[in-house]
Amino acid sequence: MDVLFLFEWLDTSLLAQISKSSGGVFAAVQTVHLGAMALLGGMLLVSDLRLLNVLMKDVPVQVVMENTRNWITIALVAMILSGIFMASAVAIKLYYNMFFWSKMAGLVMGLIFFYGIKTPLIRGDEFNTLNPWILRLVAIASLTIWFSVAASGRWIGFS
Amino acid sequence: MLNELLLRLAEWLDSQAWSTDLHESYYLYNWIEATHVLTLMVFLGMLFVIDLRMLGWIFRDVPASIISKRLEIPMFIGFSIMVITGFLLYYAIPVRTTQSIWFRIKVVLLIAAGINALLFRNAMQSPVNHWDADPVAPKRFRIGAILSLGLWTGVVASGRTIAYDWFDCHQDMARFLYWAAGCVNELAELD
Repeated sequence: MDVLFLFEWLDTSLLAQISKSSGGVFAAVQTVHLGAMALLGGMLLVSDLRLLNVLMKDVPVQVVMENTRNWITIALVAMILSGIFMASAVAIKLYYNMFFWSKMAGLVMGLIFFYGIKTPLIRGDEFNTLNPWILRLVAIASLTIWFSVAASGRWIGFS
Repeated sequence: MLNELLLRLAEWLDSQAWSTDLHESYYLYNWIEATHVLTLMVFLGMLFVIDLRMLGWIFRDVPASIISKRLEIPMFIGFSIMVITGFLLYYAIPVRTTQSIWFRIKVVLLIAAGINALLFRNAMQSPVNHWDADPVAPKRFRIGAILSLGLWTGVVASGRTIAYDWFDCHQDMARFLYWAAGCVNELAELD
């Protein structure tokens, strides 16, 4: 299904009018986007490095996961909302940008992985019987996915 | 005086072949910039966790000193790479960056954030720390955490705005802004 019409709509929306005409608002939203990325990155790193038994070894895995989960959700919401605003300024250009689609694929994969696999696995009753290698693989997969999202996002600006 | 010195230093850096090569190297420059942003995420992400713990918004059941000590090393690694890549980005475009009011604001905020972090760290490591296991840190630590969050948000915001030319020297600006941006030649023309 071609979603070009969505980008054409975004390109002529009120959001686009604001993002294209006000550099100050755009820069402020960019700051929110970067801040949300840092929050997401910090929480994911803490939780994944704990799963890898590298960081905060004296704090139980489930305590780390419970504490970081809500902040990850807050960061994702802020990142997606600010991302839509930023995308509205260059909607058509983004539609034809390979790195944008790579970032979107990574983002969808990251969301499915976090809410569909990682969280249920750690909150599940069988958590204590899980092979530690499964947890390490989950952490490596999570770090790889989110790194690809951040790196391809950065590369959008260069292409 | 200081503006002249900074400009001379920037012009000297700019005259070096490596500076030009770095600026003109598409992949190297972009990889350095990408690394700068990614390590900013590592550093700032860890800092967020520590500051939010002080405010009692995360890890309320884990002693603050454990959070602070365990995250110190990754935070330091992120900070070190961020500073090195930041210097390389400056080295690639020294004159325009030196004359960017946003870069100057960023440096001032960085220094303020550094002093705040140093005071914070010293107070954290004080032997008379009775509140370590409390869900919320005492008021002065909460103020320090809010200051830290505010200052770093300012660093990110001013870093982002360096790319904009709103107050570049070629713009028509008030004398104070020329001085604040270090527009030495434009100031001399006004005199």
